[in-house]
Amino acid sequence: MRSDPPSQLPNGAARIAQGDEAELAARARAGDRAAFGTLVERFAAQAQRVARAVLQNPDDADDAAQDAFLSALVKLDQYDPHRPFGPWLMRIVANAATDRRRRRSVRQTEPLAPELAGGGARPDRETERRALGERLRAALAELPERRRLAVVLFDVEGYSHAEIAGILGIPEGTVRSEVFHARRALRAMLQDWKEDA
Amino acid sequence: MKEPSTSFDHRPDRELGAALRAALTPADPAGFVARVRAAAERRGAPTWDILARWARVGIAAAAAAAMLAGFLTGRALQSPLAPEEVAVMSAGAGATALLESPRAPDASVVFTGLVTRER
Repeated sequence: MRSDPPSQLPNGAARIAQGDEAELAARARAGDRAAFGTLVERFAAQAQRVARAVLQNPDDADDAAQDAFLSALVKLDQYDPHRPFGPWLMRIVANAATDRRRRRSVRQTEPLAPELAGGGARPDRETERRALGERLRAALAELPERRRLAVVLFDVEGYSHAEIAGILGIPEGTVRSEVFHARRALRAMLQDWKEDA
Repeated sequence: MKEPSTSFDHRPDRELGAALRAALTPADPAGFVARVRAAAERRGAPTWDILARWARVGIAAAAAAAMLAGFLTGRALQSPLAPEEVAVMSAGAGATALLESPRAPDASVVFTGLVTRER
């Protein structure tokens, strides 16, 4: 059962239309480089965000997302064209990011600048936005990996609980629980931020 | 900001989703796309390229074979052998020697040979 129809997507973020994904995948599989490029363009930001939910270092995350795209290119014959392309690809991305983290070859994350870590002056809107981003990423990093992925896939990317269950290979009820706990922690952090502001 | 819910919310949290999206979205997605495309090119020729290369070689070989066959057939048609020559060539060296000899063959010898073979 789909728990969130596309009309309820967060932030007006339109889910990528599924209509021609199968066709693009079929063309890419047949050797159409432009079709593969189109798929990369469509899913690049999403893949990077999901990888960043696992790997805090953006360079590591981008490496994992790139590995995932190359892996997907090789595995295109395993993609079922009757199903949406996004969850299939995101499963590969999540696995690539997790594998990279497990290999423990990740780069060290730069420590937060004092003014971004909280409590410092916020001279302008851009600095404030960046500071909030840093705080959110730090709060996200405190969560267990599966919880991070669940909340990003649900609240940012708009996947349903059932789709996330397929991506992460866990029961749907577990996805709901992970999203709930992640939200509770992140909302508390956002609330603190607002009060500080 | 909504208060932490006490039940499972089945709808995405728009405010939290927007904040997370801003925090996680990369600054240069176009650069990443270019990087992935370049990596795909560097990764080596995919299967379809190899198959296409093999197909091109096969087509070229078939065309060369067809041209050679055509050339040989045309050459054979331009210089056909006379029926006598064919008979002589198939009869072997004895018949050639008989035809090229300046002296007329001895009929008794020729027919003796034929009679002997029939027995």
